[in-house]
Amino acid sequence: MKKLEHNTIAIIVVLLFGCVLFYVGTDGFRAFTAETARVNQLIKEKPKFPDVTFEDSFGRKYSFSEFENKYVFITFFYTACTTVCIQLEVNMGKVYDMLPEQYIDEDIVFLSISFDPEKDDPATLSRYKDYFNSDGETWRMATIPDQKELDSLLQEFGVIVIPDGKGHFAHNSAFYIVDKQGFLTNVLDYRDPETAADVVKTILENDKGE
Amino acid sequence: MMDQFKIGLALFIFLAIPPVASFMESVMVIHMHMQMPMLVIAGLLMAPFFQKQFPNFFEKWNENGIPGILLFIIIISYWLLPRTMDEALSLTSVEIFKFISLPFLAGVPLRDSWKKLSDFSKNFVITLFTIVFLGMGFLYIFVPVQLCNNYLIIEQIALGWAFLLTAVGMIVYLLYVAFVDPSEYE
Repeated sequence: MKKLEHNTIAIIVVLLFGCVLFYVGTDGFRAFTAETARVNQLIKEKPKFPDVTFEDSFGRKYSFSEFENKYVFITFFYTACTTVCIQLEVNMGKVYDMLPEQYIDEDIVFLSISFDPEKDDPATLSRYKDYFNSDGETWRMATIPDQKELDSLLQEFGVIVIPDGKGHFAHNSAFYIVDKQGFLTNVLDYRDPETAADVVKTILENDKGE
Repeated sequence: MMDQFKIGLALFIFLAIPPVASFMESVMVIHMHMQMPMLVIAGLLMAPFFQKQFPNFFEKWNENGIPGILLFIIIISYWLLPRTMDEALSLTSVEIFKFISLPFLAGVPLRDSWKKLSDFSKNFVITLFTIVFLGMGFLYIFVPVQLCNNYLIIEQIALGWAFLLTAVGMIVYLLYVAFVDPSEYE
């Protein structure tokens, strides 16, 4: 009897250990992939947009302070991408169209950032923006020519970009919302533009109400 | 017995050499279907040493083999999560936990438990992993999104097929156990 008790205790201890292990390992059963964990972490940390210099589709150069006192709706892409980025940018366009016009430019700017500065010069970006009816002004497409600055931004915002050596990249995608002070406040699912538009609308309405 | 321990330890140290580890982890399918099982095997080989050193411990706390096999199942399931594989690459603490948990919390208890389990329990464990591997295989092959940030989708699909093939191997074994009576051939 005594021996069996030990055995039973061992089973209970092992099961408890298993629960704790899975609980800790998945942030309380909320994040089974590193991507979910990354998004949860970002929303908690709210990193500040680092100081970088953009070069946009018109060849203009400016820093992030260009968007001071405006919300910025951001995606990360590269123009040679034939898969996810197209859906990402199409859905970004949908969010853009769903927002009431009064907010556009006045309170929020859309910004697609290319992580392929080598290929994505102003001319390429300009051609690409036309596919998505982006005006280049209220929805800008830009890249960050300085690789170090670009890397610091990707690192800060948890964007993982793996070059496959054939001119393409594997990367994670999302909608990023940066507030008027330049802090990342929200990361949204790019596959669901309706929800993203609702969230942005609420943020902008609350902001106006204050 | 001592030789087995030495081989196991050597395997363990070999796998832990940074260039070896980073090479194996650079390919998703090698990471999950070679490095991780080899760590378990290192544990299996080292197990008799621990059983000899602490005979009372295993006798007392793993009498019928169930606690050990449960621990084995828990540890393996944990390493099947897409997130843990990603974090082993990006967080040193998770990587260290991998090198400790797979040999010592999965390999060692598996060897101690396996002999103590009934045939039914053994087949139950194999069936369980067959189902899990089939599930993981279909998940990795058909899920449209990238589950691991550190690996390409194409690698994810390759991993899925490796899971399915492993599951097929286990199904063949289970069918063999169910339909073939070895004594007929003796």
